[in-house]
Amino acid sequence: MSIAGRSVEPIDLYDEPGLVRRLNAYLAAALGRPVEIGGLKRFAVGFSWITYGFSIPAPGIAGATGLILRLGPALGLFAPYSAAPQYLSLKALEGHDVPAPRAYFWSDDAEILGAPFFISELVRGEAPIPWGPGSEMSDAFRQSLGQQFTDALGALHNIDWQRSGLAELAANVSVQNAALLQIEEWERNYHRWALKAYPMFDFALRWLRAHQPVAPRVSIIHGDYRLGNFLEVDGKITAILDWELVHLGDPHEDLAWFCLPQYRGGTKLMGKLIARDEFYARYEAKAGFAVSEVSMRFYEIFNLVKLAATHMAGVYAFERKGFYDMRMPAMGTQIAPVLRQIEKALEANA
Amino acid sequence: MNNSLDRLIEGMVETLRREILPNLEGEFVRGQAYGVIYMLKSLQLRASWSPVFLLEQIARLQELAAATAELPAEAPRVKLPEVLPHDARELEALRDAGDAAVSALIGWLTAHEYPAGDAAVETYIHQQLKHELKTSAKPMFAEISLGKEQEA
Repeated sequence: MSIAGRSVEPIDLYDEPGLVRRLNAYLAAALGRPVEIGGLKRFAVGFSWITYGFSIPAPGIAGATGLILRLGPALGLFAPYSAAPQYLSLKALEGHDVPAPRAYFWSDDAEILGAPFFISELVRGEAPIPWGPGSEMSDAFRQSLGQQFTDALGALHNIDWQRSGLAELAANVSVQNAALLQIEEWERNYHRWALKAYPMFDFALRWLRAHQPVAPRVSIIHGDYRLGNFLEVDGKITAILDWELVHLGDPHEDLAWFCLPQYRGGTKLMGKLIARDEFYARYEAKAGFAVSEVSMRFYEIFNLVKLAATHMAGVYAFERKGFYDMRMPAMGTQIAPVLRQIEKALEANA
Repeated sequence: MNNSLDRLIEGMVETLRREILPNLEGEFVRGQAYGVIYMLKSLQLRASWSPVFLLEQIARLQELAAATAELPAEAPRVKLPEVLPHDARELEALRDAGDAAVSALIGWLTAHEYPAGDAAVETYIHQQLKHELKTSAKPMFAEISLGKEQEA
């Protein structure tokens, strides 16, 4: 790695003693007082950002003594990373009815901790997952989570982001071009990651370009809004997590992602939580616009395209970046099933 | 599969060495893990993707080439040799070049109205996906996520 003509040795993101030293120095400079962190622990979550928990002595940061550090490694699934969108989005959520960790610091300067990073509050809770044994929920528990998750989505899409730091990242997104910007983004990703051409993917892109809907508004889009990406304590959602795909766009994108069959856990419920009619009615009441079936069909296909490209990123990370995690080639086996799903969805829209 | 066989084997060996062996106890069990590494490395020297699987894919490309033969001369075309190679890597390269040509043809068909060309491409895509799904193992994502054998 070379920065401004100097050669810099890459920092090992898994060297915990080294990370503690660098975090102490960074936080001491940021807070203007000596800092000694404790209890650094790596969490085995996600495919992409590396997540550590740690604590700092009282008074902590804004009262929080339990903190989370997320690092975006150069070899990660969606690298190269910037921490800015996640940090700015979490700041934009403060004071709104969207439970999320408070964000404190961020930087894209890899010289500080070895990779782009942000530091946020540690929120307690369990993350229910959509699949596997032990993931069964009582009806009352499920219904309550479904209602809270729907309300939070409506609240997220109502946020006036133009009055927040996110306005800096707006890149002229409008209701007219929200769909096109996302098609272009994921087409670029396809060309970055695909090791071969996938004719079904190109066929789907052609359909998407020909059927772009106009968005009802431009909102903050979570990008991976589903069961598995929130924490709950005693049936109350305490935080919505995993904001790495956050961007500005059409709210239908999040709605359609939540409704993908992949995340229904083998049930007929959207996101394994709530019936489609109830989800739409509750969301509409909260968000203040009617869900468009035409837009939902478009974004179902768009989201499957996005999912297929994400699987291609797994193949690419394993093949070209020396990432040896066996989950990566396993993701690659899902490219064909998702492309087949797209084919069926296109047939249904013919 | 989408990863190369070489890289898959390398990745399996690395995973065994870095993630599994450090957590295994007992001479016999660790010896068995080294036995798996040795056999994987032996396979790496001699194995390749199945030519039968690849020839099936190339047969679909040949059908598409025939079905689109009447398109105007400027349309991108799937080009295949009269005599196919025996080597799996060469077959794989032919398949990939063929798919790249199909993607280019989709781009061309977007700007030129030839319903017969569209229909031929759709048939090709459908058959290739069907073939790939038919030759895929049952997914084990619950096991991968949870680290436990699941009921069949």
